[in-house]
Parts: sequence; structure tokens; C-alpha cells
Amino acid sequence: MATETLRNNRVGPILRAGDVAKAAVQAIERDNPGKAIHIDDRTAYIRVECDDECLLTRASMELALGRPFEMREIEISLGSFSGNIDTSPECIRFYFNKHV
Amino acid sequence: MTSLKQDEYYDLIRGVNWTPKYVPEEEIFPEEMSGSRGIPMAQWEAFDEPYKVTYGDYVQTQREKDAGVYSVKAGLERANYVKTADPGWVSTLQAHYGALAVAEYAAATAEARMARFSKAPGNRVVATFGMLDEMRHGQLQLFFSHEHTRLSRQWDWAHKALYTNEWAAIAARHMFDDMMFTRDAISTAIMLTFAFETGFTNMQFLGLSADAAEAGDHTFSNLISSIQTDESRHAQQGGAILKVMVDNGKIDDAQHMIDVIFWRTWKLFSVLTGPIMDYYTPLEHRKQSFKEFMEEWIIGQFVRQLDDLGLKKPWYWDTFVADLDQAHHAIHVGVWFYRPTVWWNPAAGASPEERAWLEQKYPGWNTTFGRTWDVITDNIVRGRLNMTLPETLPLLCNMSNVPIVGTPGDKWNTKDYPLVYEGRLYHFGSPIDRWCFEQEPERYKGHMNFIDRVLAGLVQPPDMAGALAYMGLAPGEMGEDAHDYAWAAAYQRKAAE
Repeated sequence: MATETLRNNRVGPILRAGDVAKAAVQAIERDNPGKAIHIDDRTAYIRVECDDECLLTRASMELALGRPFEMREIEISLGSFSGNIDTSPECIRFYFNKHV
Repeated sequence: MTSLKQDEYYDLIRGVNWTPKYVPEEEIFPEEMSGSRGIPMAQWEAFDEPYKVTYGDYVQTQREKDAGVYSVKAGLERANYVKTADPGWVSTLQAHYGALAVAEYAAATAEARMARFSKAPGNRVVATFGMLDEMRHGQLQLFFSHEHTRLSRQWDWAHKALYTNEWAAIAARHMFDDMMFTRDAISTAIMLTFAFETGFTNMQFLGLSADAAEAGDHTFSNLISSIQTDESRHAQQGGAILKVMVDNGKIDDAQHMIDVIFWRTWKLFSVLTGPIMDYYTPLEHRKQSFKEFMEEWIIGQFVRQLDDLGLKKPWYWDTFVADLDQAHHAIHVGVWFYRPTVWWNPAAGASPEERAWLEQKYPGWNTTFGRTWDVITDNIVRGRLNMTLPETLPLLCNMSNVPIVGTPGDKWNTKDYPLVYEGRLYHFGSPIDRWCFEQEPERYKGHMNFIDRVLAGLVQPPDMAGALAYMGLAPGEMGEDAHDYAWAAAYQRKAAE
């Protein structure tokens, strides 16, 4: 188990359950076309991950929520994340530097 | 409102630094507080935290977080969840609050040290937010627990525990003091924000929130997962500091600090988080085992992150992985047996159904730890409760401050790893605990664990009654079996047949 999980390349947000988490799943599917999205629902939180890089844009969040959304609002739901993070007002990027 | 977009001004204002003219740099940033390790100021200015927040955004977002947390609490208050909750879950809450609420409040001073003494201007800004975060966590957790003090005096330990000389409180304080309150700004960034907050706090604040949601405790689930959103942000200081260290040839220094504090944190979590996830949380509400949560958050996520930053797994990795099947089971037997010495009521978690679950999650449990519980159960069934209670004290580790334990079974593999330093004999529960001590004996040599205090005559009379008095535990505070031995009823029926 230990070795196997170590060798994954999954990155992405781990969101507290709620509307924003549900919207983020839709948004991530839209923002990462062609990528397999791994969703792991643990009741209180949900892991939304894809390999190497995972993008989440403000525009997609607004589409999914059907209301204006500031990128900073994601922090209220962002319990944790896998990989590294880069934030900007339009997009959040989760990524690894190295592929294993 | 500003006419510039955030990404146009953020780096400029966050990176504001100055060149001192009237005071030498080393007086503003003394090495023992800053810990800049000879890396020049210009290099620290390269610090670039990846999780960017302006002060305006920070205040607004935190207000919205609090509005959410307090409204869930208010909405569910009439449901009186804690009054009707399983006693094992109540113990989970009491152990959590006592070990962590005040420690989080104190963590504000660790953030303040970075906010004042870090040579990286960006670190100083982000740590200021981190300082406010930790005050929030202290206040929230003291407030949320306080309403229950009318239910029992044990709830008062949410505030009281870390001010006492109760043994688990000493263990927690020793670890937190080492990691947060006696380190320079850069060491604090690596040990506290990187190793502890990027790694282990996910276990206690998200892993446990999953169990809480399953148990129907939405107030607590919502509270601790909200706290972790702050942690996830300010934890990013650590990675940015690491990058500066790596770029300036200090990777070995960083690796060494991670190796020390990763082990120390593991030992503390094996006491605090292990038993509550695998024994106290009612069986039907356990989302995953403690080991599975460790595999998810620490092995899968944190260690992968280490790898990505060019760091290695701690040198004792194989021992750590093996310990995931042992340490917390052994500690749990000890905490339950020594239950009068803790401020919560340990749940045995040893009913036939619970044992089946443990065997499934930890193959071999029945032939090792299960045999210890066989003896305890037998004593309960035969009405010999006195034989399930302590009369003497255990040997404690001089690093983790928790009992020196091993795995029972056909053989008893418990072993002391002693060390004589400056004429004093120290005892350690593992070669790694001893290694931690050897890295900085000057730092650790003066500390006395609970047993040292007994031997020094500080605990009078030197027996269990004196020990409980020294720990500040009065009747109504000292732990009892959480379910009043109801878990043993099935064995009693079987014995009667």
C-alpha cells in the first residue's frame, strides 16, 4: 500500500462538503478536458484530483454555481489540497513539479 | 476601491522590505530569532508564497468562515447533540479540545515570531495572517467546548489541560514547546508550518471531521474542517521557506528538521488521534481506520509532496510504516488501563464486533493486542475490576513523554533504549526517540517526564493517589471506562452459558 500510494501523481483540491464543492467538481471537469477526474467522497470532505496538474477557474465556478464567484471564496471550502498550489484571481492551479 | 487588479500590485506590496541605516541588520534580526543561517537578505526576498491573499480578502473570507461555523452551531444547539452522543464520541471531543485548544491559541506566538523575525518579507506578511488564524482557532475551540462544562467537569479540561502536570498534557506541551516556542523563525516555518500543518493536522482536522460527520456531530465536523482551511493556507509558508533553503544549499538542514519533528509529531498523534479513531469513535461511524487515514494523508499526500520538493522520506521510514500497525494499539491499552490519569473516559472499543473490525483492519490484532484485551475482559467478567486498574506507574520515554510500549503476543518485545548523558540516565521508547535527543541534548537534557518527577520527590506521596493529585485530577475529572463496561456484556453472557 505504502509504495503504491507514494507513486501517484494526483493533485487537486480537497473540499469541505457543500454547494461550492459540488460546483467545483463540475468546474474541474470543464477546466481539465480529456483528463480522468478522480472523485473520493468522504462525507465531510471530497477529494477531486487528476494527474500532474489540475486547474480550477473562476469562470467555470460561476457557470457551475450560476452566480458571481470570487476566487478567494474557494478558501472557505478548501480544507486541503494535494500537490503544490498557485493562486490568482482568475484561476487556481494544483500541480506537481515531477511526474513519478 | 483600488484601480489596480490584485495580481498587478500583490507582489509589490507583499515584498516590501527596507535597508536599515541606523541599526545593524543583525540587531533587527538576531540569528537566534531569525535563523537565517547565513543566507543573505536578498535571497530571502525571493520568498514567494504560492497561496496569495490580500489583507482585505483575508478579513472578508475569515468573516464568512466564522459566519458559517457559528451559524451551524446555533442551528444545531437545540438538538443537544453532545448530551445524547455516544460516550466514546464525547471522549473524542474532550481529548481533542484539551490537547489542542490552548495549544492553537499559543501557536499565534509562533506565527508572530515569523511575522517579526523572518528575513523574508513575504513570510512576515503571511505569518501575520497565520497569527490571526491561530487566535481564531483558540477562541473557537474554547468557546465551542465551554457550553458543555455544565455536563461534566471533564469538559473544563478543554481550557485547563495544558496548564496542568497531567502526563499527556506534559507530553503534548513538550512536543509543542519543542516545535513552536523554542525555535527560530525559519525552523518554525519548516517544523510547524511545513511538517506539522501540511502533514499531520489534516489527520486531526479533516480525517476526524469525516468521522464526526458520520457520527452526526455536524457542529464539530464543520468547526474543525473550517479550521483546516486556515491551516492549509498558512502552511504554505513552509514550502516557500524550503525553496529558499534548497536554492541556497541548505537542503540537508531542512531535511534534518523534518526528520526530527515528523517523528515527534507521529508519537503525539499515536496517542491522541490513533485511539480516538480506532477505539473511541462508535464502530458504525468509523469512516476509515487510523492507519487508512495515515495512508491517505501522510503516506499518499505529504510524503509525495516531500518528494516533489526534492526532499526524502525520513531515514527511519520503514520503522515508521511498521509502527502504524503497533504504536497506537499499544498506547490505547495503556491509556485505558491508566484511565484515572486522563481527563476523558477512554472507550475500550473491545466488544466482539469491534474486535472483528480491528482484526480486519489490522490482521494479527487478535493474536497480539487482542490477548491483552482477553485478560482485561476476563477480569471484568469475573468481577475483578481492581485488576484492570493501575497501582504502579509505567516507564516513560524521555523524548515522547509517553509510556514505553511494544507489541504483546507470544513474546513481549518492549525494549528500553537508554542513554547516559552528563551522568543522567535517560530512557527512550525507540532508537529514533533517542536519536532525536542526541541531535540536540542541550535542548532536551533538563526536562523531567512524569516518572522523573516521581523519582525526584516532586510527587507526594509517591503512589497513584499522589500522582493523581499532582496531575490535578479530582473525582469527576479522572477517566473511567466510557461505557461503564457495557462492551463486556457479550462476554459475560457467554461466560454464563
